[in-house]
Amino acid sequence: MNKQIWLLPLLAITTLMWSEKVLAHASHVQYRQTQAVEIEASYDDGTPMANAQVIVYAPDDPATPWLKGTTDSEGKFIFVPDASIPGNWDVTVRQAGHGNIVNIPWGEENAASDTASGSSADAGYTPLQKVVMAAVGVWGFVGTALFFSRHKPQN
Amino acid sequence: MLMQKIIILVSAIALSPIFLSGCERANTPNIPNTADTTETETATTQTGTLTLVANGEDFIRQGFVTKDGWRVNFDRVYVTLADVKTYQTEPPFDPEAGSEIEPQETVVLVDTPTTVDLAEGDEDAEPIVVTQTEAPAGAYNVLTWRMVRGEEGSPAADGTIVMNGTATREDRAIDFLISLDRELEYVCGEFVGEERKGILQAGDTAEVETTFHFDHIFGSADAPADDALNQDALGFEPLAALAQNDKLEVDQATLQQELSPQDYQTLQEAIAGLGHVGEGHCSVNS
Repeated sequence: MNKQIWLLPLLAITTLMWSEKVLAHASHVQYRQTQAVEIEASYDDGTPMANAQVIVYAPDDPATPWLKGTTDSEGKFIFVPDASIPGNWDVTVRQAGHGNIVNIPWGEENAASDTASGSSADAGYTPLQKVVMAAVGVWGFVGTALFFSRHKPQN
Repeated sequence: MLMQKIIILVSAIALSPIFLSGCERANTPNIPNTADTTETETATTQTGTLTLVANGEDFIRQGFVTKDGWRVNFDRVYVTLADVKTYQTEPPFDPEAGSEIEPQETVVLVDTPTTVDLAEGDEDAEPIVVTQTEAPAGAYNVLTWRMVRGEEGSPAADGTIVMNGTATREDRAIDFLISLDRELEYVCGEFVGEERKGILQAGDTAEVETTFHFDHIFGSADAPADDALNQDALGFEPLAALAQNDKLEVDQATLQQELSPQDYQTLQEAIAGLGHVGEGHCSVNS
């Protein structure tokens, strides 16, 4: 039987915020809350894939690792995708000849929304259609002006 | 009278663009957009070279120690592939979910039975190149293939997997020739390994890989005895018991007769688990 591997992407969404404390002769610690993805990897019997290799690939360069790391003792791994790169973020988890890949859609709602907005604004008209529609409109105003400026025949 | 004419004229002016707009929307699917046409032509001309490799891994190239302590070395390991296809799918296909493949692009890599020797080359040899072809650029994240019997005249005639080599343990050495004939279809997702495969850029090259995990048949001394790999593997000892004068030459029918029903079932399931894409698993159709 094959040793199946399960990868569970868990999305943690929080607000964006910076905080910093400064003390004399003290170290500086700052933190930032942002959006993150949590991976949980386990075998089919529920055993966590502890200390497994993790490779993250960004959508804009899917052949080059964007981030490498290892899972913790519970088979978990957390990373923060670059919000400016929407699309499928791919994550492989490997250990002792067993591996799996998970695809995580990231920021595609925004990308889809942008696309829809652009499409609506442009409405998909060809240049020829736009010219004809503009000409008809202009001609309408010219025609109206001519209509009112005509001289009535004298009876 | 004058007011009526004004109303009619202004209405006509106001409505004319709307009528034009309505015509445009109704006809859009039938009017090739110049930009769309250009995009399609560009897409069809953006190709690269896709290479299909078959990989028996170091288990085959370097030999290994089975779960029951036999050191096996392979001289020849023939597998016969047919109907090898790779696909681009979006969203990605998950073979373990049992869903249908919905390809955006399909490339046939091998259509007629092709026999390859996974043990070809030295212990550091690269995976065996089966074929190369021009293919549209994109991410090939699905691979399917059939493992079929070799054709007459091929080195693996009538066998789907033919293994030839030597097994040694302590002072005993067995020359073996094992011919299996179970035909299977493997349906696999994306390659999983140290490097990523199947990402084909225009003008570039990429690989897709059929991977064969022979440790699933024999088990591995490198894994704990209670590891699922070894629990589910046949090992070599049941095969060694069938050898005569330290020679073992068997086909699958003989194995079905000579092995215990439990061992034969274990072998059947191990063969089904043989096909992978790197470390990525596949679903199997008989």
